[in-house]
Amino acid sequence: MISIDDKIYTLKFYVDEKNSHLRIKDPKICFKKCKERFCLYFCPAGVYRVEKDTLLVNYQACLECGSCRAGCPFKNIEWSYPKSGYGVCYKFG
Amino acid sequence: MRNRLNYEVVIIGGGPSGLSAAIKLAERGVKTLVIERGRFCGSKNVFGGVIYTSSIKNLVSDFPQVEPFPCERPITEEGFFLISEKGLSKITFLKKEDTPQSFSALRAKFDSWLSRVALEKGVDFALKTKVIDLIKNFRGEIKGVVVERPESWESSNPAQISAKLVIIAEGVNRVLTQKAGLLKRDWSSEEVVLSVKEVIQIPKNKLEARLGIGESEGLAVELVGDITLGLPGTGFLYTNQSSLSFGIGVFLKSLVENKIKPYELLEKAKAHPYFRELFQEGEILEYSAHLIPEWGLEGFPNLYGKGVLAVGDAVGLVNPIFREGANLAIYSGIYAAETAYEALKRDDFSEKTLSMYEEKIKSSYFYKDFLLLKDLKKTLFTSNQWFNFYPQFFNFLLESYVSSRGREKREVLREILQELKRKRGKLGILRDIIKILKLFW
Repeated sequence: MISIDDKIYTLKFYVDEKNSHLRIKDPKICFKKCKERFCLYFCPAGVYRVEKDTLLVNYQACLECGSCRAGCPFKNIEWSYPKSGYGVCYKFG
Repeated sequence: MRNRLNYEVVIIGGGPSGLSAAIKLAERGVKTLVIERGRFCGSKNVFGGVIYTSSIKNLVSDFPQVEPFPCERPITEEGFFLISEKGLSKITFLKKEDTPQSFSALRAKFDSWLSRVALEKGVDFALKTKVIDLIKNFRGEIKGVVVERPESWESSNPAQISAKLVIIAEGVNRVLTQKAGLLKRDWSSEEVVLSVKEVIQIPKNKLEARLGIGESEGLAVELVGDITLGLPGTGFLYTNQSSLSFGIGVFLKSLVENKIKPYELLEKAKAHPYFRELFQEGEILEYSAHLIPEWGLEGFPNLYGKGVLAVGDAVGLVNPIFREGANLAIYSGIYAAETAYEALKRDDFSEKTLSMYEEKIKSSYFYKDFLLLKDLKKTLFTSNQWFNFYPQFFNFLLESYVSSRGREKREVLREILQELKRKRGKLGILRDIIKILKLFW
């Protein structure tokens, strides 16, 4: 079974090492209020992952589709596009 | 204000809608700037995808006789694969045309080609530049954009670019459409389809052999049935020059509610016996994901405001049933350019003048299609049977037919009818027929 990481490896990214364009507004919500953690599933790049009791935002692999703008039922994700010229760069598209 | 850049029209986004508007404006001598956040036009863009000759001819009249050729293969076979767990039925139409009506394409190549067409017509480009805000004057008229670049070497303030008119071609994520005040509300997860796709390289000569097509022939099929696990959505399979575009799109809401990972859906589809064989020795060249705006008329923004027009995906110009999107983006871009040109001539960018754009959209064929399909979403969400039962049943029907030799045919027919009655019921079938009729009438 191919993992999402193998798929992400096929892509070219210009990573903004300094700034994440995605931010969890209130991390407490992800562990106290949100039991389902839908973001771990619907995100097509597997950006959102849980490690121990932290929700990791692996923004470097983001495909900028916008699903998490509406997919998070608590609207707890602050979303924007990466800075000018950064982010995914499709070779085929 | 010192050194502020000045344009007659600024277009936000270098996809098909924005570039079409730019080409049409530059042809009429309008000083136009396209601002694109990606490294080149197409670098952020994904579609299935098939592009239609008739729409491109409005921009490049010689198409498809152009060099370099921006598309992959002419589409000579088109239709549906109805998929059950173990098999599939193909319903395709084979065409022999002198000038193909459609071509498969990849957006990194296609969009950058279109941007070169625009460049040659005299359009200016600001690449790797993100628009972060719109300039509004005290009357609420939009008079330009603010970009995420410093205004000068000495200052870190974001630069401003003045424009008499701004065309928003930002795509499905309507951040600036909202800032322009054109949105009543943004979309929700039942109004967008999340589509994931892979471009899969197939060893030389095997692509043609496996699909039974010639070297200059191409296939474009929609995949319906087991592939989406019965969720409302479809898959697609398009042939590129030496690769296949294979993808699945399902409403974001369904993915969220059922906790389905879209790439696992894709992997499961690739494991279907037919596709496993098709993709043998295949290499994934690229994985991608994109949202498709399927909100229909009720999710349309205001198409115009004071000094601003919205085009393409930002409006929601996608007809999912008839696979139209990039072509509608092109048409809307052309309408926006015609409107902008008229407004420049009158030097009047009021809503009254710009409403011309809405009139053009409303008198188009595709607007009428949007009216026709206005109940589509409701029908799809309340009728999973189109995505699981009927494709399954069609396969059962064909399988029963082809394996009925040596049996009494009346018995076979009875089995088929029993299956239909058991799964849908007499009333259910009647209801399904009425639903379809209602949708299209």
